[in-house]
Amino acid sequence: MLKKYLYVIKTQIIRSMAYEFNVYGNIIMQTIIMITSAYFWRALYKGQTMVGDVDVDSMLTYVIMSSILSVLFITNVERRIQNSVEKGTVATDLMKPINVFGVYFAEDIGNIIALVFQNILPIFIIGSLMIKLPTMANPKDIPLFIISVIESFLINWLVAALFGMIAFTAVNIDALIQVKKHLLRLLSGSIIPIWFFPVGVQKVLEGLPFVYIYQLPLSIYIGKGSSVEYLSQMRIQFIWLVVLSVVFFFVQNKVIRKVMVQGG
Amino acid sequence: MVRFFKELGHYLDVTVHVIKMAFMTIIEYPSNIAGWLISNPLQFIMGFAIIKFVVESFGQINGWTYGQLAFLYGLSVISHALSMIFFVQGWFMGYFVIEGEFDRYLTRPLGVLYQFFFTNINIFGITDLIPGILVFIYGCVKCHVVVSPLFVIQIIIMLVGATFIRGGIYILLGSTSFHTRSAVDFGQYTQEIMDKTTMYPLSMYPESMQFILTYLIPIGWVSFYPVSSLLGVEAKFSGLVIPFVTLAVGFIVMLIAGAYFNFGLRKYESAGN
Repeated sequence: MLKKYLYVIKTQIIRSMAYEFNVYGNIIMQTIIMITSAYFWRALYKGQTMVGDVDVDSMLTYVIMSSILSVLFITNVERRIQNSVEKGTVATDLMKPINVFGVYFAEDIGNIIALVFQNILPIFIIGSLMIKLPTMANPKDIPLFIISVIESFLINWLVAALFGMIAFTAVNIDALIQVKKHLLRLLSGSIIPIWFFPVGVQKVLEGLPFVYIYQLPLSIYIGKGSSVEYLSQMRIQFIWLVVLSVVFFFVQNKVIRKVMVQGG
Repeated sequence: MVRFFKELGHYLDVTVHVIKMAFMTIIEYPSNIAGWLISNPLQFIMGFAIIKFVVESFGQINGWTYGQLAFLYGLSVISHALSMIFFVQGWFMGYFVIEGEFDRYLTRPLGVLYQFFFTNINIFGITDLIPGILVFIYGCVKCHVVVSPLFVIQIIIMLVGATFIRGGIYILLGSTSFHTRSAVDFGQYTQEIMDKTTMYPLSMYPESMQFILTYLIPIGWVSFYPVSSLLGVEAKFSGLVIPFVTLAVGFIVMLIAGAYFNFGLRKYESAGN
């Protein structure tokens, strides 16, 4: 059973390797974005050492690690669902002896494995040389960091997949994909950590799943907060993971039944 | 001369029809309209809110007050919106090259670049325009700008130039697809880089980067230099002539982009080969 998915992952890795220029182009673009962000924060911190309990060095680490996580959190599932609904291939996909969403998940995993070498390593090296070495504040928190990143990855994928499923009713979801992207970019703390936001806004955002995608693992990495705080936040992160998984499986069964009915 | 005007008239005629068609196609997917209406304003309203939060936490950004930043941000979003309406296709040029879509354009008796941009005109760009104008007006009020005819002319000239600079850059990046044969879409990245360099004061970046963004990739002329001369904040270049410099830079970038596109088009092989 698992072997089929491993095969999908392998094919996707090979497919991702096909276009060399894309790889270099992506690296260059992402590096430029990362370096401009670093200068942005340096300029803001000019003449100030601590803002919002964080100093400029931690903020630079935050920027580098955020760039790396954003590569890890690239998903293609929304577009895959949209394409297969638009072109009607979803019907034949569902006939295959393998779960469609499992295939999409495996494809995204394959893509990310390819990206580890194509993007994450280069970004890490360039970031270390040109900005600073992104060292972890408290190395004893490494297990917490790894667990929270895995949960973040899953939450991010589930949110993407749920958005993608809107395609079953709306067919074209280009605009909705953009909505999701902006919500995620700005509300997850990936560009600007939400501790710079007013307290009221922070409270609202802490109730939403987005901050648990970027800001929680990044806070653990730069050591903003204590282990007790991390654990209580990770509890909320886990609750979101469970809630989104339940919603995902519920919606998945619903849309599959819908397609089946349409197919006769 | 008469022939030239006849041709120009023909192009204008086609443009009107094409815009009509664009309106028709956007109503094809109703959920999409709603989506764009939410997505685009949302992006800029949130972006603007973030500037407010940052200014509140840090006091000011490199000597720029909140009102001045709103002015800069608003103008930057407006020129972004205009470039989205007319030139966003440049982001997707790669797909046109790979799928052999230029075949259709090559067989018609109109300029290829004209057809490429205008038959795919993106009416949805208007949804970016509205938040831009709102933030800009807010910035004008906060900065106590005196709205004189001269001011309006300067703004318009500058926006035309800024749109050309952005459009030219999209064409230049898109035209690389003729040589690389890949459908990579750098649009999102381009936008992110442009956001960072046009919506905030360029002076917060190091000298070397400012030099590149002034003379090599003239993004600084999109908003930073004209705005800093209009508002008189740390003006490196100042005077009434600055908006016209933006316009001139826009024309130059466009000319280079057009030439590079035509150079690439010669390398274009249609889908059949």
